[in-house]
Amino acid sequence: MKQILIFILVLFTLQCGKDLSPFGGEPNVTPLPNRLKPEWPNPDWKVVTPESVGVKSEKLNLVEEYAFTRTGDETDRKGRRTDALVILRNGKLIYEKYARNFKEDKVHLTWSVSKSILQTMYGIAVKQGLIKLDDPGYYHYEPLSRDEAHKKITIRHLLNMSSGLAAEEGYESGPLKSSVIAMLYTRGRKDMGSFCADLPLRAEPGTQVYYSSCDTNILSAILKKVYGAEEYDKLPFEKIFKPLGITNVTFERDGSGTYVGSSYLYMTARDLAKIGYLYLNDGVWNGERLLPEGWVAFTRTPAPGYKTTPYSDDLSQDNYTAHWYANTGVPNRGIHEPWPDAPHDTFAAIGHWGQMLYVIPSLDLIVVRFGDDREKAFIKNDFLKLIKESVIR
Amino acid sequence: MKRKISVILALLFLFVMFWAQWNWKHLSSFPSIISSFYSKEYCSCYFVVELSEEQCHDFARQWVPISEFKLDKENRSVTVKGLGRTNTAKFQSKTYGCTLLNE
Repeated sequence: MKQILIFILVLFTLQCGKDLSPFGGEPNVTPLPNRLKPEWPNPDWKVVTPESVGVKSEKLNLVEEYAFTRTGDETDRKGRRTDALVILRNGKLIYEKYARNFKEDKVHLTWSVSKSILQTMYGIAVKQGLIKLDDPGYYHYEPLSRDEAHKKITIRHLLNMSSGLAAEEGYESGPLKSSVIAMLYTRGRKDMGSFCADLPLRAEPGTQVYYSSCDTNILSAILKKVYGAEEYDKLPFEKIFKPLGITNVTFERDGSGTYVGSSYLYMTARDLAKIGYLYLNDGVWNGERLLPEGWVAFTRTPAPGYKTTPYSDDLSQDNYTAHWYANTGVPNRGIHEPWPDAPHDTFAAIGHWGQMLYVIPSLDLIVVRFGDDREKAFIKNDFLKLIKESVIR
Repeated sequence: MKRKISVILALLFLFVMFWAQWNWKHLSSFPSIISSFYSKEYCSCYFVVELSEEQCHDFARQWVPISEFKLDKENRSVTVKGLGRTNTAKFQSKTYGCTLLNE
């Protein structure tokens, strides 16, 4: 009996050491390469042949084959179901194709890609000096002052998906207890931010990464308080979409008029590529700095909470940074690059059911893919590998 | 033997009651998910993305079937009944899309 107890104790101790050891070094976030001559889409992207910018058309055919070959039954919503694919190199459009009744001027639901554009709104607010990353959320948003634990949640924690709030981000897998479903469709829909701020804490803020739509909608509600309802209503349209020449866009709100930053932004593939191009150019658009210096570096840095997040197999698929994803992995933490066959510096905005915006600075590539995949048939790494292989110089 | 079964059933019943009580806030709102999801996602699919009625049904369809569906093109709203609950989503504008009306 004594031996068994000692064995269990040793096992427990080993497990603790494995799970909670901080990772060794800083993540390797390479600086953005210097871009020689940005080609601003004014008002729209310049269309050129792939070869003129060093991409092989024959190889792009393989990308097309991967993305658009139907692999399952439409009525059962099986297989890869691509709706749009747009690829740009050196700021010029080299590939564009649509399916399933989508076309160039049709907006598409981006689901969680919306989160990354909400992050852009924070870049604007930080640049305007209205908010600081290490401000406790309750400075700006009263529902986060419910107790001392909630008062520790900062804007940075929320952007890093590390608020510690006990949300349950399950859609089809566990609808009963899913807080994201309750937030969007039932108990939270009237006021998503306050529903989310009311959740208890599962961890000390900042110490664990847990992907949560609640963190985003609290951020959205905070912005509403910071700007006031009237300014807030215009914020994404006037401060982001207008400068980028994006007019065909819808951003849905909850019952209290707060943007559903977690889920409900609708854009065209060409326009979403403009968001990617803003980040590729370090937050500068047409010579004007829209996002503060260092914002894109912040965007590409893995969330510090990974240092102390208990290890699970799902972690390597997340690789969350600050409301974006990066292909860095987390050194010495057992978290490998999520897309090992894509360039190391790839970063992305990713949404439910197959929405993707990839920015690949080292190849000067932007890729937007929209879809409606109801099962995991579209493998991001395989797709990105084909895109990388299409670049010849 | 009979007594044993009765005890097991009673314990099982107690367990289910305890579980239901514990999860009441989840259970009580659960039936509404079907009609609210269907109405909201159909509304956005039809009025924002402007896909066909058939495509929007395919988009919003869930595993649990709905019992009533009404697409009101004039008022730009979608009302759905499922699992005994009715929900309506209304198109606000091109800028702000669709929102579920409060229960």
